[in-house]
Amino acid sequence: MGGLTRRRVIAILALTSILLITMDLRNSSSVSSARRLFGAIFHPIEGATRVLTTPINNIWHGITDYGDVSQDNKRLKDLIARQEGATIANIAGVREAQELLALNGLPTLAGIDSCTGQVVGQSPSNFSQTVEINRGRRCGIRVGMPVLNAAGLIGKVTESLDDRAVVMLITDPAYSLSVKIVNQPPPVVTVPSKVPESPENQTTTTTSTTTTTTTTIAPKSTIPGFTPGATIATLPNASPNAPSSESTIAGDIRPGQGNVSQITVPPGANLPLRETGALEGRGLSRNPIVRFIENQPRFGVVYIGSPIVSSGGATSLAPPDIVVGTVSRIISRSGTLGPLLEVKVAANLESLNFVRVLLYQPTTERPSAP
Amino acid sequence: MNRILAIAQQPLTRLFLVALIVLSFQTTIFNTMRPFGVCLQVMLLLSTSSGLARGSEIGAIAGFIVGMMYDLVLSTPLGLGAVVFALVGYLAGMTNSFVHQPTWWTKMLLAGAASGLGMLFMPLALTIVGREGVMNRHILVVALVVGVTNAAATIPAERLCGWVLSEPSEVR
Repeated sequence: MGGLTRRRVIAILALTSILLITMDLRNSSSVSSARRLFGAIFHPIEGATRVLTTPINNIWHGITDYGDVSQDNKRLKDLIARQEGATIANIAGVREAQELLALNGLPTLAGIDSCTGQVVGQSPSNFSQTVEINRGRRCGIRVGMPVLNAAGLIGKVTESLDDRAVVMLITDPAYSLSVKIVNQPPPVVTVPSKVPESPENQTTTTTSTTTTTTTTIAPKSTIPGFTPGATIATLPNASPNAPSSESTIAGDIRPGQGNVSQITVPPGANLPLRETGALEGRGLSRNPIVRFIENQPRFGVVYIGSPIVSSGGATSLAPPDIVVGTVSRIISRSGTLGPLLEVKVAANLESLNFVRVLLYQPTTERPSAP
Repeated sequence: MNRILAIAQQPLTRLFLVALIVLSFQTTIFNTMRPFGVCLQVMLLLSTSSGLARGSEIGAIAGFIVGMMYDLVLSTPLGLGAVVFALVGYLAGMTNSFVHQPTWWTKMLLAGAASGLGMLFMPLALTIVGREGVMNRHILVVALVVGVTNAAATIPAERLCGWVLSEPSEVR
C-alpha cells in the first residue's frame, strides 16, 4: 500500500466513489448483487454477535430505561382499561364498514394477504430511519409493500432478502405517500325543542336534554361524525327546510309513539369531508408533514386531531384507508398554497416490535418486464 | 496452507476481517445503546484510528474500505460513506503528521475532531446526492457525542489499527 502517491490515492478513491454512487442512484443490479452477497457473509456474524451482546444490551436498557418502562406500564394499564369498551364498538363498526365496501365492490384491507414479522434491528446510521424485520422474500415480501403495526402505517419495504427485509419508516425524508385528511365537521350545537309545559311532556324534555349532551360531544370522538350505537329520531311533520337545530332528538321511544321515525345514520351535514395531500417524512426528530392541501372552502377549516389515512389509488404506495395519524399542528400559508399539516404518527416508531407487511405491491414498485 | 497464511497476513485481509467484526458490533450493541439518542460510530473510529496509526494515505484507503463495508449494510448510496470515511481517515492522518511528537491526548483530540467532522460531512454528502431533511440542528448533537466517545476510545483503537495495518514482516 506504500507505493502510491498521495494525489493518486485521492484521485482513485474519489473516482471510485463517484462511480459507485452513480451506479447505486441509477439502481444498478450489480450494486444490489454486491449488497446481497455482503449480506450473506455478514448476517451470520451479526447474528452471533447479537447473541453474545444481548446480556450487555439488557444491562444497558435495565439501567437507562427502567423509569420509562415503569411509567409506560402504568400508562398502558390505564389505556387498556379505557380502550376495552371502545374496542367492542369499533370492531362492530369496522365489520359493518367492510361489509359495505364489499357490497359496493370497493377494495378493503381484509382482502389483502399479509405477513407478520418482528423487528430485529434498526438502522445503525444517525441519518436514515429504517428497521430490519425477520421476514423476507420467502414470505412473499417484495420492495414497495406497505408495513403497519396495530396502531397504523409505519413505512414501506425498501429491500427484501430471503429471510430479512429493510423497512423505511414514514419519518424518513425519502418517504412520501398520498394521504386523505378526514376533516371533522364543525361542532354542532343543538337546542332542545320547546314543548308545552305539561306533566306528560315533562318526561320527554328530560330525555331530550340527556341526548343533546351526547350529540354535542360526538365531534370530539375518534371517528368524527359517527357515533356507534346512536339513534336519532326525527319528527315526520317537521318541514324539510327546517334547520336541524329544530329537530327533536329523543332516545326513549315508547310504544304508541307512531309519529316519530328512527334512523341509525348520522345526518348528511355531519359526514366528514375528505381532502388529499402528500405526506412527507422529515427525519428522526420532526413529525412528517402533509403538503398540497387545496385551500377550498368546501373542505372548511382543518382541525387539530383530524385523522389522516392513506388515499389509495392506482399509483399509490399503499391501499386506501390505512390509518397514518392525526393532525398535530396546522401551518397556515398565504395565497393559494394551502396549509401545511404536521402529522402525529399513530404508531410509536421508537418501540416497534411486531409488524404486518401487506402483500400489496404498488404498480410503481413492480419490476418492469425485460 | 502457506499461501492461505500469506493472504491472511496481508493488511487488507486483516482490515476486512476486523472491520467485519466491528461492523457486527456497530449494527447490534452500538445500535441499541444510544446515549442522548445518538448511535455511536465505531466504524468511523476505525477510520480515524487507521489514519492516526499509519498516516494519511493508508488512513484514506482504510477509511474507504471500512466506509464501503458500512454502506453495504445501510440504505445510503453505496460509496457515500466510503468517501466520507476516507476523508476522515486522511484528515486524521494528515493533522497527526503536523503534530511534533504526538502524545496520547493529542491523538484523542484529533480523533474526536475528525469524527465530529465526519458526522457533519455525512449529512452534507447526503444532501448533495439529493436526500432532504438530514441537515438539521440534531447533527450538531450527533457530531458532539460521536466526537467525544470516539476520542475516549482512540488509544486502544489506534493500537488495534496499528497491528491490523502493519506489514506482514512486522507481525509476530
